[in-house]
Parts: sequence; C-alpha cells; structure tokens
Amino acid sequence: MALPSKKRGRMGILGVYLRKLYTLFRGEVLVLPSRIVVFLFFVVLLFLPVVTQDPYLLRILILTSIFAILAASWDLLSGYTGQMNFGHALFFGVGAYSSALLNLYVHIPPYGSIPLGGLAAVLAGLIIGIPCLRLRGTYLALTTLAFPIILMGIVFAIPGITGGELGVSGLSRLSSSRLYDYYITVVLMLGLCTIMWKITDSKTGIIFHAIREDELAVRTAGINTTRYKLLAFSLSGFFAGISGGLYAHFMRIAGPSTLEVSLSFTVVIWAVFGGIVTIYGPIGAVFILFPLLEFLRFWPEFRMLMFAVIILLILLYMPDGFFPWVRDKIEKECPRCKVRNVATRKTCRICTAPLD
Amino acid sequence: MKIPKFLLSILLIACLVMAIGLPAYAAKVIKIGVIGPMKFMQGKGHWNGATMAAEEINAKGGLWVGKKKMKIELVKADSNEFLSMTDATNAMELLLTRHKVDFIVGGFRTEAVLAMQDMAMDYKKIFIGVGAASDEICTRVAKDYDTYKYWFRGSPFSSTYLGKTSFIHLGTVAAILKMYLHIPKIKVAVVAEKAMWTEGMIKACEVYLPRMGMDVVGIWRPSAVATDVTAELAAIQRSGAHIVFTIFSSSVGITFARQAGELKIPAAMVGINVEAQKDGFYEATEKMGNYVMTLNTYARGVEYNELTPRFVNTYIKRFGETPTYTADTYTAIIYSLAPVIEEAETLDADKIVAILENREYAVPSGKHKYMKDAQGRHLHDLTWGPGYLTSLGVQWQDGKLVGVWPNRWKAAKGAPEITYKGIVPYKIAPWIIEKYKK
Amino acid sequence: MILDIIISGLISGSVYALLAIGFSLIYGAARIVNLAHTAFYMVASYCIYYATHKMGIHPVLAMLAAIILVTLIGLVCYQLFINPIREHEAAVLIATIAIAMAMQEVMLLIFTGDFLSVPALVKGYLKIFGVKIAYQQLLTIGAALLILAGVWAVLMKTRLGLAIRSTAQDREVANLMGMNESRVAMITMGISVGLAAFAGAVVVPLTIVNPHMWMHPLIIMLAVVVLGGLGSLKGSFAGAYILGFTEALVVFLIPFGAFLKGSVALSVMILVLLIRPEGLFGIAFEEER
Repeated sequence: MALPSKKRGRMGILGVYLRKLYTLFRGEVLVLPSRIVVFLFFVVLLFLPVVTQDPYLLRILILTSIFAILAASWDLLSGYTGQMNFGHALFFGVGAYSSALLNLYVHIPPYGSIPLGGLAAVLAGLIIGIPCLRLRGTYLALTTLAFPIILMGIVFAIPGITGGELGVSGLSRLSSSRLYDYYITVVLMLGLCTIMWKITDSKTGIIFHAIREDELAVRTAGINTTRYKLLAFSLSGFFAGISGGLYAHFMRIAGPSTLEVSLSFTVVIWAVFGGIVTIYGPIGAVFILFPLLEFLRFWPEFRMLMFAVIILLILLYMPDGFFPWVRDKIEKECPRCKVRNVATRKTCRICTAPLD
Repeated sequence: MKIPKFLLSILLIACLVMAIGLPAYAAKVIKIGVIGPMKFMQGKGHWNGATMAAEEINAKGGLWVGKKKMKIELVKADSNEFLSMTDATNAMELLLTRHKVDFIVGGFRTEAVLAMQDMAMDYKKIFIGVGAASDEICTRVAKDYDTYKYWFRGSPFSSTYLGKTSFIHLGTVAAILKMYLHIPKIKVAVVAEKAMWTEGMIKACEVYLPRMGMDVVGIWRPSAVATDVTAELAAIQRSGAHIVFTIFSSSVGITFARQAGELKIPAAMVGINVEAQKDGFYEATEKMGNYVMTLNTYARGVEYNELTPRFVNTYIKRFGETPTYTADTYTAIIYSLAPVIEEAETLDADKIVAILENREYAVPSGKHKYMKDAQGRHLHDLTWGPGYLTSLGVQWQDGKLVGVWPNRWKAAKGAPEITYKGIVPYKIAPWIIEKYKK
Repeated sequence: MILDIIISGLISGSVYALLAIGFSLIYGAARIVNLAHTAFYMVASYCIYYATHKMGIHPVLAMLAAIILVTLIGLVCYQLFINPIREHEAAVLIATIAIAMAMQEVMLLIFTGDFLSVPALVKGYLKIFGVKIAYQQLLTIGAALLILAGVWAVLMKTRLGLAIRSTAQDREVANLMGMNESRVAMITMGISVGLAAFAGAVVVPLTIVNPHMWMHPLIIMLAVVVLGGLGSLKGSFAGAYILGFTEALVVFLIPFGAFLKGSVALSVMILVLLIRPEGLFGIAFEEER
C-alpha cells in the first residue's frame, strides 16, 4: 500500500521504522499466544497506574513483583542447575538485613544499599555453595534448609546489631511516593527477570541445564562444573538479595520473618506450581498465587487451607507446573523444525509441515 | 482468531481492576479499625473489647460529633502478625485505604506494630496501641513529634515499667519467703525467653537484685517456644534457688510451669508469664500450674476503682473468660476516644491529639496520664504508679487465678499502703515449705 | 552435671529417634520425602487432646484411637495426593508440604491457636543419682528402643519386611519378582504414619500442642535423618542420639545460649556432611544386613 509521495516524504524515516517495528511485532509476538501473554503482561503492569492508582492494589503488585524476583532467582538455581535449594530465604534475609544495616548505620540510600545487599547475598551464596558442592539430591535440599535457621540463631544471638526479633526498623523509604515505588519495583522486576531469562538462554544457561540432567557427562565434556555451580549459587543469591533489599526498604523494616522456613517453602511451592526450569513459570505463579492469597483474606479461617488445597489439586493434574501445562494446551511443536505454533494451526508457520 | 483473545484478555483485566477498585461509599459513621492476630487469644481480646465498647456506645445512639450523632462501625482486620509481616501491613493498608477508617486500635507484636505505626502515621490516623510494650514505639513520638503524634499507648505500660513492677513482685515474694521460712539470703534463678524485650530486664536483674539483697545464681535463656526445659530445671534445682524469676511471653511459660510442677522443683515462681494470665493456663499445664505468680491487668474479684467491676463482670458474662490486657480496646474506645471526640466536637485527628495528650482520665485499670520524657517531649506513653496504673500480681491458687498484689504495698518509704479490693494473701507452694521449714 | 547431660540427651535423642524411624522407613522403601511426617504427629496429638480433655477417654485408649485414626488419614492422603504423582519427585515434595499446611490449617480452624496440653500417661517422677526424671520421659526412652526393635524385627523376620527391603533396593526388579510394589509402598506408608502417631502419643505429654508444633521437630528430624544417612534405620537412630546429646551439651554448657541448640545441632549435621556427603551410614537398606 503506497502512500502518496508527498506524505511519504514527510513521515519518511519514522514511518519506515514504525512499519518495521510493526512487522516485527506481527511476525514475532502476535504469532504465539504465550508471547502475546508476556507482551500484555508487560503492558498491563507498566500502564496500570493510568487506569487506577489505588494504593492497596499497588501495594499488592509491588510485593508480588518483589517475590517474583525471588521465585525466579530460585528457579535459576534449583530449576536449571538441579541444586534443590530449600533455604532460599537465606538470600532474601541476607539481602534484607544487609541493606537495612547499611542504610541505618552507614546511611547509604536505597539505590546503594539494595545492590550492596545483593552482593552480600552473593557472598552468602558462595558460603553455602561450597559445602553443598559434594551433596546430591535430598541431602542438598535438606542441608540448604538448615542454613537460614542457623543464620536466624545468629541473628537472635547478636540482638544489639540485628535487633533480635524486632528486626532493623526505621529504614528510609524506597521513594517518595507509592507510585514511584511501584514503577521502581515493576521495572526492576521486568528487567531482572528478563536478564535471568537471557542467562538461561545463553551458553551458561545451557550448561546449567546440562548439569541438572547429567553432571558426570558435563564433567567428562571438560567443563568445570564446580565453577558453574558456584556461579549459579551466586547469581541466584544476587537476584534474591536484591529482592530482599527491596522488601526491607518497602516495608521499612527487616526482621527475622525474612529468614523463616515457611518463606523458603513458599518460594519452592510457587516455583513448582508455576513450573520449574522455565523462569516465567515462577513469576506467573507468584502473580497468580500471591494476590489470590491476599484476596482470600475475606475468609480468614479458610485462607491457608484453600491455598493448600489448590496447590494439591494443581499438583495432581498438572504435575509439571501450571504454565507448562497451559502452554502445552495452546501451543504445538512442529515435528520438523521444532518451532512452536499455535495449537489451532494445521501447518507449521515456518516450514509448512503438517502439525498434529 | 487472535483478535478475540486480545480483547478477552483486556476485558478480563479491566474487570479485575474494576472489581478491586470498588469505591467506598460515604459513611455517616465513625469507623474504627480493630487490627490484631484474630485467630489467637490476643486478637480475640482486641475484637471482644472493641465490640463491647461499640455496642455500648451505639446503644445510646452513638457519639455527639458537634451537632450530629454518629454511631460507631468497627472494621475487623486480621493482621496475622505472628505468622506474616506482609499480612499485617496489607491488613493495615486495607484499613487505611479501602475502609478509610477514622481511628485504629490494636496491634500486638512489636515488629509488626512498628511497621503498622509508620503506615498509620503516614495517613495521619490516630492509632492506639493495645498490646505492644516496647519502649521504642513511644520514643519515636518524642523524636519526631509531628509525624508520630497520632500514636498513643493504650495498654500495657512500657517494658521499663513492666520490669519495675515485676521486681516489686519479686521483692514481695522474697520478703514472704524470708519471713515464713527463715531463709537468710534469697537465691534467685532468672529464666527469660530468648527475645529482645527481655534483654533490658535481664540487665536490670543483674543490677537490681543484688541491691535488693538477693543472689542471682544463674540466668537461663530457653527459646520462647521451648517444649522441654527439664535441663534448665535440673540446673536450677542444683543451684539451690529459692525463687525463679520468669520472663516469658510465649508457650515456654506453660512448659516451664508444668514441668516444674511435675518435678516439684522447690522454688517459687514469680515474674512475667503471659500464658499464665489466661484462663486456660491451668488446664494447659495439666493442673500443675498452681502457685505460679505473674503480672496481669485484670483478675476476677479485684477492683482498681468503680469502673473495674462493670467492665470485668460484663466481659466475663459476655465472653466467659477474664479479660486480658488486649481487651483494653474497650478502654481505648470508651474512655480515650469517645469523650475526647465529643469534647473536640469533630473527628479531626489533630484536634483530638491536642486534647487527648493532656488529659487525665479514669479507666477500669486505674488512671491514664500521658508521659513526657526527660526533656519534656511528649511520649504518649502511660504513666505508672499509685493512683495511675500499677497492674496486678496474680497467682494461681487451687486452679483459680486470684489477685495477690498490691497487698499493703508501699510505693515508697512513708507512702500510704495500697491494697485493692479483692486481693487475697499469697500462698507458698507446700513442697517449698516442706523443703525449707525446719 | 555429666549425668544431667546424659539423661537429657537420652530423652531428646529418643524423641527424635521415634520420629526419624518412620520418616526413614518411607524414604527407604518408596523414596518419598514425607515432609508431612511431623504434621501427622501433630494430628495425633490433637486427637489425643480431644479424646482425653473433651471426651474424657482414658489416655491409653485415646492413644490407640489416635494411632488408628491418623494411620487411616495418612493412607487416604497418600492414595489421593501422593500416589498419582510419585514419578515427579519435586511435585511429591511440594505435595507433602501442602498436606502439612492443610492439616495445620484444619487444626487451627478446629482448635484455634491456643496452646494446649495432653495428660501424661504415667504421672510422677523418680530420682536417679539426685536428678529428677519424670516417668513419662523414661517411657519415651523405652518406647524408642521398643519401636526400633519392633521395626527391625518386622524388616528382618517377616515376609512383609522382606518385601519392603527389596522394593527399597530396586523397585523395578521387585515388581518383576511378582511383588505388588505399589501395595508395598502403601503399607509402608501406613506403618510410617502409624509410627508418627505413636511418637505423638508417647512424646506429646512432654510438649505443648499447637498448630505449629510440627515445624520445629520437622527440621531436627530432617537433620537427624540426613546426618545418619537417608534410608538407613541404624543411621537415623545414631543420628538422633548424636543430635540429642549435642542439644543437651549446648543447654548445659551455655545456659545463655540455650535457644541456640537447634542451630548448633544443624551445624553439626553440616560438618558431618562436609566430611561424609552421604551421612554416617550411607543410603540403602543393604547396610542393615
């Protein structure tokens, strides 16, 4: 469709660029329902404040985003590398306490204390990663369970610094208004999770995945699995530590509740519910389950019970996770070129092989 | 095929957003949010006290706010603060933004109250704390008056005074033991649960007990939810302690009392034992909890003033159990807020704060007067002392919780003796008498 | 002092041993990490509480009733929620956590969060070398030894025990040999839950009943089982007493740090794992022979 020469001259480069973008969009994003969903997810989260600025809703979404980073970081470690980490609260707590202490005693503002909290969590990751190198399977899972508990004991043993069960309070705010808080956390979440997604798609990610499948084979291929495992612990720790720091500054208090066993379990539940080895699975799971749990507060007696029952049902019918199950229902893989297509198509969109 | 999916998703999201963003309709009622751990005793106390208060006021048609009479509407918020900090803050957020309450009463766990207090102060809503004793919550008021002035402590008095009162109880029991059993020097074993709020009190023990003429033979710190303290008890017995000074707020109070009773440890238990304040304590210790003494606010049959029996008896009749200090949401609404609202003739928080902080008024547990700190800054914390608030010392005797202190207590040399109506004498456990009586 | 430590260690060790044996059994036989094990122990405690306090039944009868009831509940849970997804280990793990949470919530609903207690089976105490020990605590030690002997006898001397041991070694081959492997797993689950209930019955008079009582024993039990070696009964038994004594040492030597006993016990577990990554006694039941 050619525009009259006068108009084309004026729109010129911008028009060409926009048209390219549109073609790209139509060709890459609109082709698959899962990509449409991700796109909508980004759009809705970023443009929600245009529709409503209800502080309660924003609060829920902020907390959800923080926990989404946490869940995705768990998947990076335990899903991809197969090192089942039942003590993920350790990273969260270390991140929260570190940024809190740095903020309160050294007066570092949030944009400094949070990354530093993340680095502290990396250190924690290395400290626990090293003993865990020789452990496998259930042993690893149960050992990782122990670490946050030990740290909690230490927190209670030095109440002068950590505030014991009262935690560290009086922290600076994340930003000056709820709206800015919202954008900071959401943009950070979208950014960090995209980075995590990119990591899993890279060479490092493939090695992680391979370590999960068969570590011995990876070692015989000449790859130093120890280094990669420690890398996984560190990366996972970094992102989880950031989410801990965000939490501390948003709630303005960092307490022993950030190290609880129930938090570790909840992270695992989210991730397995959403589908491990996906990154988007845990994120989606948090976005479904956390608001659901909050929504269920209208039936306070049955809240956790319904939550537990929902989990059990999902596990029965979708043991691989909710999102992989949904994705399998709406998409099919082409037998020839292995590219995904919408389930309603009869032939592959790229190689035109018949799908069935 | 893709376009309907597009629209569908947008439609769904729009519906979700609209459903959550329900507008709060204008109300001609005074909304008071009651926030607490509703599945536990403390939250139940919060709600019960508040309900009693609201019903009483509404039965009279409400409060006069200027020329209008407005009824009270309570909004229940389960903070679940024992289990989840995020739940607590979410609940507070709901109260402030969705229900748009005018006042808030309740709160229990200090970690949660600190966070909830910040939120209420942001919205400039008066928050009367009924349950958290930590000093810090009130020192914030002194440090940053303009932000925190909307906070008032409703109950109990601060940890400093809790400590002071427990030491007085300790001294009283020590004096009784000395007199009846002819013990030259009393040995005290301090058992405090491992928690921040006990740190100050332990340091105070190390300083004050020797001054009171007693020996501290050891300090034990079990976990607040310890289920087995036989090790500690064995060591205490070996140390020859005559008194065990307990500083417990959680289930270890039950465990300790029960195991000490079963093993008939020959030491009198006195101090703070929050579980022992509850009616169900005797059952929970399998009837081994006799002779345990603890701090408490209310006891059956004991009256501070003429307001006490009305409150306590109505509460017992209505809910079947003695009120604990979290039920002082009743006091917060009936005696702290209601009269001040009527005097101010408005719901405006600033005006109410200005009146309330200078007010002295009688309550079922004594008299409220708000303190200032050493530099004269407002703390909005409760004054302690004879004529104001002293709380009670209660002891379990024959399966019943009775008041045993103040019993001819002199607050200072030359001060008048104080005994509240309904106080009975303290009893020493028979196995202690057996051991020491010569 | 030494005597105190020994006795205290024996008592805690026995409590942990009772819990760990059931857990080890189901892991060994069916490779199921049953994180709801202590939750069944909690349900049994509540049943006993209800029976003795509200219905006035004699404690021993209440115990029996609780064991039967909880075993049935355990089997139902297993059939409905765990068996269908046995192939997905991660899912089984989460399922057991969800079951534990569900049971906690049901207990919270029915009994609220108040702290409750259960009467002792045998009241009173006796003095050994100047240390007072409650009869109930001696009962716990005796029960732990009895149960271990019983389980060992069943595993070694009966056909059922043989079946359990073979499925523990190799599921597929056991199936080929004509054993109904899923039935064996179910029966083992029943025994395991029964053991948890029995542990509840014996141990609960010494502790406080409340809906969150299952968390702490779970952690220590996991530490015990990992320390002793997953799947090894002998290992669980040894691990239980090691950690029991560690805790007693902490409480007696550092009264200031009595709350740290859990952390120290877990640190001991990690240290042992650093040296021996499979725990003290390795993995499978072959060690028992």
